[in-house]
Amino acid sequence: MNPPDLHALQRGDEAAWDAAFGWLWPTVFAVAQLKLQPFLPDEVEDMAIEALEQLVDKVRSVKSVEELKPLAASIAHHRAVSLLRERFAQKRGAGKTESLDVPVDDGETKYEPAWEDSPLDSLAEKELAARLQTSLAELKPPQGEILSDFFLHGLRYEEIAKKRGVAVGSVGVYLKRGLEAIRKIWSRDENN
Amino acid sequence: MNPMMNDEQFFDLAMKAIARQTTDAERSELDALLASQPELRQEFERLAADARVAKIALPLMDAMEATAGELPAYVRGRLQTKVRQTLGRPAAKQELNPSLAWGWRWVLGLAAATAVIVLVALPTFRAPSGPVVQVAMLDTVGAVRGAETNETKILTQQWKNSTVQSFDQTGPLENWETNWPTGGKMTAKVIYDRAAGEVRVLLHKGNKSQQKTFVIEQDLATTLQRASDFIRAQAE
Repeated sequence: MNPPDLHALQRGDEAAWDAAFGWLWPTVFAVAQLKLQPFLPDEVEDMAIEALEQLVDKVRSVKSVEELKPLAASIAHHRAVSLLRERFAQKRGAGKTESLDVPVDDGETKYEPAWEDSPLDSLAEKELAARLQTSLAELKPPQGEILSDFFLHGLRYEEIAKKRGVAVGSVGVYLKRGLEAIRKIWSRDENN
Repeated sequence: MNPMMNDEQFFDLAMKAIARQTTDAERSELDALLASQPELRQEFERLAADARVAKIALPLMDAMEATAGELPAYVRGRLQTKVRQTLGRPAAKQELNPSLAWGWRWVLGLAAATAVIVLVALPTFRAPSGPVVQVAMLDTVGAVRGAETNETKILTQQWKNSTVQSFDQTGPLENWETNWPTGGKMTAKVIYDRAAGEVRVLLHKGNKSQQKTFVIEQDLATTLQRASDFIRAQAE
């Protein structure tokens, strides 16, 4: 599916928005699912819809069509975090903060959130969107895939080497370069 | 560092520890290294922090590339209603009837002449008072950095006669945005959307409305000044 025409969206063109909603839906749904599925699975679809509605509010401040998907993902992320905060506060009493990221299934912390904030939650929507966009552009293949294999899927160096067709000795090099890129992008001062 | 261990080996060992893939022997070796060399402890902590960001950011990046799943049919109507409410209907593309076009030229000519007369006569009248300005702040994420109080202060400094309404949800804010006072006087609503990093200005007079968004590029105070200049220019 091709990206929509931004000027048509900003004019309120119905057909352009139909195309845009179809194009953005997998992204907002995936983010809502990522955040809410373990805790509030019934809210996933509503959250994805609300994120698209909020994107309509913001579209006039968007400068290029490439900003749309990161912005949609960022809006969905913030809305989901906000909803989780609200629900957790109701459940456990106000005044406590905790990480609302999906816990890693490592056999020890399954579905037990860690008691700290995520460093991404404090970024404003546009800042988070910009950093996601930069990360996608700067993590050259297969850096992103290898980071995911290692940190998200728990694969060992040997398994990654086999899966990606690279030497075992290169896996660490890809991880190192990938993490250096992440550090460069995400540790910047928010106001820079 | 262990004289037999180079940077790459330390990195690989640290990665395994962060991903909980070390054997007991490897973990003991790493613990001994970290205990004996504080600079390695610092590097290990930086790598752990980077890994934590990666674990949160990578799924979001994957989500941006997701293509599976279709927009449910029932949602389309709701979203298109939102588009119409927010952006209005696009102007229909049609050729103007020549007689209508001439009619419009007359109207425009008369309007221009009226404008000139008004401009000439204006200084002889007393200047009208400024528009009513209502101010609100939307903070859906929550004041995680404790900056809310300062920002409220900046908002009240800009519009001294206005009180700042705070919203943490878009629903009540939307109600506030559409609730205009009666009468012919121009009213401006200024909404500072903290998470979006922007200031929206809504203007309303009679049955006419106008909206402009100011992205916060420098700082809040400068952006509010731009918004205030805009309101003043429209009121004039």
